[in-house]
Amino acid sequence: MVKHRFSAWGRVMVGIGGLLIVSVLFSAVWAADYPQKGKTIQMLVGNAAGGPTDLGARIMAAGLEKELGVPVVVVNKPGANGQIQLTQVATSKPDGYLFGTVNFPVTITGYLDPTRKTTYNRKSFEPLAMHVNDPNIFAVLAKSPYKTLKDLVDAAKAKPKTITVSSGMRNDEQIGIVQLQKMTGAEFAQVSFTQGTAPSVVALLGGKIEVHCGHAADVLGHVRSGDVRVLGVMDDEESPFLPGVKTFEAQGYKIYSASSRGYLMPAGTPKEILSTLSGAMKKVMATGEHKKKMAEMGLSIRYMDPSQLGKFWDESETMVKELEPLLK
Amino acid sequence: MDVFQNLLMGFSIALTAQNLLLAFIGSLLGTLIGVLPGIGPAAGAAMLIPLTFQMGPTGAIILLTSLFYGTQYGGTITSVLMNVPGEAASAITCLDGYAMAKQGRAGVALSIAAVGSFIGGTFATIALVFAAGPLTRWALEFGPVEFFALIVLGISMLTGLAGKSMIKALMMGVFGLALAMIGIDPIRGSPRFTFDRVELMDGIGFVPVIMGLFGLAEILENAEKPFAQMVLARMSTLIPTRGDIRDSVGPILRGSVIGTTLGLVPGITNSASSFLAYIAEKKSSKTPERFGTGMVAGVAGPETANNAHANGALIPLFTLGIPASPTIAVIMGAFMMHGIIPGPLLFKEHTAVAWGVIASFYVGNVILLILNLPLIGIWVQILKIPYGVLCGIIMAFMVLGAYSVGNSTFDVAVMTLFGVVGYLLKKFDFPLAPIVLTLILGPLMERSLRQSLEISQGSFGIFLSSPIAVVLLSLAALFLIVPAFMFFRRRKGVLPGDGEAVA
Repeated sequence: MVKHRFSAWGRVMVGIGGLLIVSVLFSAVWAADYPQKGKTIQMLVGNAAGGPTDLGARIMAAGLEKELGVPVVVVNKPGANGQIQLTQVATSKPDGYLFGTVNFPVTITGYLDPTRKTTYNRKSFEPLAMHVNDPNIFAVLAKSPYKTLKDLVDAAKAKPKTITVSSGMRNDEQIGIVQLQKMTGAEFAQVSFTQGTAPSVVALLGGKIEVHCGHAADVLGHVRSGDVRVLGVMDDEESPFLPGVKTFEAQGYKIYSASSRGYLMPAGTPKEILSTLSGAMKKVMATGEHKKKMAEMGLSIRYMDPSQLGKFWDESETMVKELEPLLK
Repeated sequence: MDVFQNLLMGFSIALTAQNLLLAFIGSLLGTLIGVLPGIGPAAGAAMLIPLTFQMGPTGAIILLTSLFYGTQYGGTITSVLMNVPGEAASAITCLDGYAMAKQGRAGVALSIAAVGSFIGGTFATIALVFAAGPLTRWALEFGPVEFFALIVLGISMLTGLAGKSMIKALMMGVFGLALAMIGIDPIRGSPRFTFDRVELMDGIGFVPVIMGLFGLAEILENAEKPFAQMVLARMSTLIPTRGDIRDSVGPILRGSVIGTTLGLVPGITNSASSFLAYIAEKKSSKTPERFGTGMVAGVAGPETANNAHANGALIPLFTLGIPASPTIAVIMGAFMMHGIIPGPLLFKEHTAVAWGVIASFYVGNVILLILNLPLIGIWVQILKIPYGVLCGIIMAFMVLGAYSVGNSTFDVAVMTLFGVVGYLLKKFDFPLAPIVLTLILGPLMERSLRQSLEISQGSFGIFLSSPIAVVLLSLAALFLIVPAFMFFRRRKGVLPGDGEAVA
């Protein structure tokens, strides 16, 4: 018989291995237990109460409570385009009881801007789920001479920097506009409306600007009353809210830009917890009540699981980096 | 007439037991939220939204709108009784309202404010019913260029806020503008004066600043006095005298017009309305020097204006689907969650809901009046608490309020700092109101100026291309030149030693 004798190092290794196994087992048990009855899940929202991000998140929170059987409390941490909220999520304990909101592309343009001095980046978070996909649109007054996107682009080429279009600050609207400029060589006069879309819709209706770059919900009422015409949607499919409006793609401009909203957790959150919570969100989004509420607000929902969202995030980051010189 | 028939139908909806109850609950909750500093109407309304999922659209919207104008009144209560503005829009009411409370006339101030709020709200609702169309077309004339001119006019009225010294008032105005520069640049997004603090990226919080400048500074100043002197005068009466009523009629009428018109322009906050109404009263008064010492007009004007503004701001929501303020954005969310898109087709597609809600505005304003007049007697009991105890309660209240603005202790620190700043400024006899005025209007001015220049691609000629802007800017110039002219003329004619009268 050969006696097996472990060296001192061997024993340490076995010890560490044992600990690892135990801890993995424990965390598996712990994750299987998630969410524990009696505990509360906090949902941080990086926008003020009442905006579209907040309302969408609150509808999600209400659904999650039913699905998970634990309270889901919405805490608004508005400010600095979500930076205050994201800073807090990034530094929170990855135990599954706190998650936050993520807005694309604003979250990415935020941490890629060195002047913002964010303390987080892509690696600080685990993607959780995508919730809302709100593609950009170009809208003009019904009496505008521009009937199609091509009319508008041709006019902007003929008279550079004279056609006024509402834009934002390193957000989806600006990204949509600079993509169009880069692709066609047209140049618009971008007018910055950074306090929500309402002031820019007023400016459009009052004839103070020629094009409103925003989202379907901004102009739904005016499209139906016949005052406003939407020239195109920056998505790969037509918007259910704007029947008959062609995509940019269908008009020969392969441009996709949207304000996409989802959820994230601190880096290091166990995979099991991510998939449990993300799966619960998927179920909520499949309910008729959720679909109805979101549709009534003019928001289209589009679920992505953690790995799909991670891929989307990486691709968006690459795109923003390419466009970065044009965002000044 | 069509309008009357529709309105009657609206009343038949608004006066059902359920909707009356909702309007009552909304008004009551709104008043309480108004009393709590820090929790603004938008946050309050958003918290109620999930509760409204199960209600019909009319009930949900009645609840939220009555909460909204309830807050406009509730904010007054703490301004008058404690010198702590419960809402930003009531900050200016501190000046004369609190002075009235010190004279034992808190009840009068609150009664006048309640009646003014009622009339202002009703006035704006009548405007919504009978003149929504033309008013909306007028509001659409206000693009960035006209908006900029309007704000310049507002800032030029700063001269009307000067106390004894015009120079000190101008210094404080510039101080407010400098504070307004803090934060992310509204166009290109670069942080300014933020010292790498993420909390400063959106600028200094407005509510913590005014709570510090008005509320905390007052407490610090009182703390100097011997304990026995720190007693507010006892309540003498709740009922306004005939003189009070006479002095309030003009301010209430002017406040109604100012609030309703400014409410129409998206982006102008109701704190701007109440400030400008105050200045209008001071400018048109025969005794402007007595403002700040407990003038009824200084309460009636701004309190009417902020309620008229709250109701007036609903006009663009109904006609254009444009939310003119964050709170109205929440109310718009409630419409949309029930499948109703506010805007040009609202009256056609959802006649019953639209008129039911409008009728509920009348009803809500009446409820608010009925609710508040008897409550005044209860609120003023607060003043019976010994001041030493009361100021502790007020301070706890302010810390809570500052924290709840953004769920952040940073705002508590801001409030404390501005309490000390306000105390020192008071000691050296600097007026505080100009800081608040420019802090409100500064960011609006900067944004609209830069938007205008983006439209014109850098040419200042754009400000001369709009007749409205030209008129507003000329008025602003007049406001600045006339006092300057008087200043120099008087300076020539006075003897040395008359410094107080001159400066």
